[in-house]
Amino acid sequence: MKEILSTQGLSKSYKSVKAIQNLNLQISEGQAYGILGPNGSGKTTTLSIVTGIIRQDSGSFRWFGEPPEAGQRRSIGSLIEIPHFYPYLNLEKNLRIICDIKGMDYRDIHRVLEMAKLHERRKSRFSTLSLGMKQRLGMAAALLGDPRVLVLDEPTNGLDPEGIAEVREVVLEQVKQGKTLILASHILSEVEKICNYVAILKKGELLANGPVKELLTEDEIVELSCDNNTVLREKLENSDLVKEVKTENGVLVLTLNEKITPSEINAFAFDQKLVIHHLLSRKRSLESQFLELVKEE
Amino acid sequence: MIRRLLHIEQIKLLNYNPFRITLGIYFLAFSLGLLIYPAIDKEIPVISLSDLFRFPDVWLFLTWVTEPYNLLLALIIIMITTKEFNNHTFKTQLVFGLSRTELLLQKLMLIVVLSLFATLLLGATSLTLGLIYSYKLTFNIALENTWILGRYFVSSFAYMSMGLLVALLIKNTALSLLTFLAMRTFVDPVLFLILRKYEVKWYLPMRTTTQLTPVPNLIEIFEKKMNSAESINESALDIIPEGLPDWLNIFMVLLYTSLAIWASYLLMQRRRFT
Repeated sequence: MKEILSTQGLSKSYKSVKAIQNLNLQISEGQAYGILGPNGSGKTTTLSIVTGIIRQDSGSFRWFGEPPEAGQRRSIGSLIEIPHFYPYLNLEKNLRIICDIKGMDYRDIHRVLEMAKLHERRKSRFSTLSLGMKQRLGMAAALLGDPRVLVLDEPTNGLDPEGIAEVREVVLEQVKQGKTLILASHILSEVEKICNYVAILKKGELLANGPVKELLTEDEIVELSCDNNTVLREKLENSDLVKEVKTENGVLVLTLNEKITPSEINAFAFDQKLVIHHLLSRKRSLESQFLELVKEE
Repeated sequence: MIRRLLHIEQIKLLNYNPFRITLGIYFLAFSLGLLIYPAIDKEIPVISLSDLFRFPDVWLFLTWVTEPYNLLLALIIIMITTKEFNNHTFKTQLVFGLSRTELLLQKLMLIVVLSLFATLLLGATSLTLGLIYSYKLTFNIALENTWILGRYFVSSFAYMSMGLLVALLIKNTALSLLTFLAMRTFVDPVLFLILRKYEVKWYLPMRTTTQLTPVPNLIEIFEKKMNSAESINESALDIIPEGLPDWLNIFMVLLYTSLAIWASYLLMQRRRFT
């Protein structure tokens, strides 16, 4: 697969705050790559660096396998944070400026305005738009010229539920067409619904990355207790039934390996002559997994 | 590419009200002021201001009179540049594919266009007034002193480049405007007074720029008029000799302008456009 974006040891600090530290990302053609992290984890900083707004302190990045230069950004559709346009210009004129920068003619403007459901407002000044409309215009600008790479930073920010659904639909459509998507979000479900690959950031460090299916699976958690938890724990740890065993409040908390059911655990304990008197199965939600990944050590 | 950059500036500017208003004031100052001068001095005997509107003196006189108007052009540059910071539109342009150098180039090209516009306006006005008020018209007399237009262009360009640097440095509209005006009306003149005993006073940036379009020797022209009416058109108006030699003065202005552009370039490369 062709490389779209890669970063090598990217770091950036704002005074004493380390925004991102030694970040290495590889994004290939056709991937829908989610960058997931809580507020302040460095998502926007990362995207601001690769779109040329700010300069990194150290490290480097490459677009399409080449060292970065302004011309590459003309084939990338970006929406970084809140979209900023000329408040006194109408929507059409604002998009004309983008067309001029990208070196394309103005014919595409109507298509993207219709896509963003802003065509009727095309003669309104940008300053008269609501926050959600501004966000949609940002999406429209990103889609101008049908770029093969989309870089979106929290694209559903400030939108009402209907708007969120619409933007997701548009983005999903782009992914289906084989476009490469780089999406930063703090909303887990958004990344889960749109992306097939995810990197999780925390305080500017890459915590984990991999296919969404592997990284964000719903593990089965079993709580159990028997007369001799210490022995059971030892036995379980030596078996290939569980990924992880913890003791919480006097009960064992197991993370089961794939395709292992609680009854198998029960049977296993029984074989070891240990009688379980408490067994509770609970699915761990993605949300709590995500929170666990990023919580304070 | 250059045409595209200019076109982007055109969309931004022609729809920007403060730009239209400032340019309107500029036009008004140019046309009204110049129409009023010849009208007000009908009463005064012997000395008539309309003497100043004859070829070839009109070139020098009008250039001197309209030189402060260049400040308005510099204010336009400051306004539109700081607005790009306020509206975060430098960021938008970067994200969609302009380079930092192109952002600067955009503004520099606008400065060239506005300088050309100012010079052409001055040329057209001088030519018109000259044609109206001159007694004797020959090609040579009419075109004598037109070299001053070249200096007017340099002067406009220099003011706007300094304005651009101030805007990139300060980013805030009101503060930038104040700083720039203070430099011209207060800091430079005060320094000039403090340094009055030293030759270095002529090297102050704003002073060298005003010296580009120096004060014409007004007394001389009226004396000539009083002594003999015929000799007026025979010798061109002189400039009161003052300050640096011409070539050095022009060199200093070009040096300051280059420095301002170079500093603007460095600022543009390093600024964080969020």
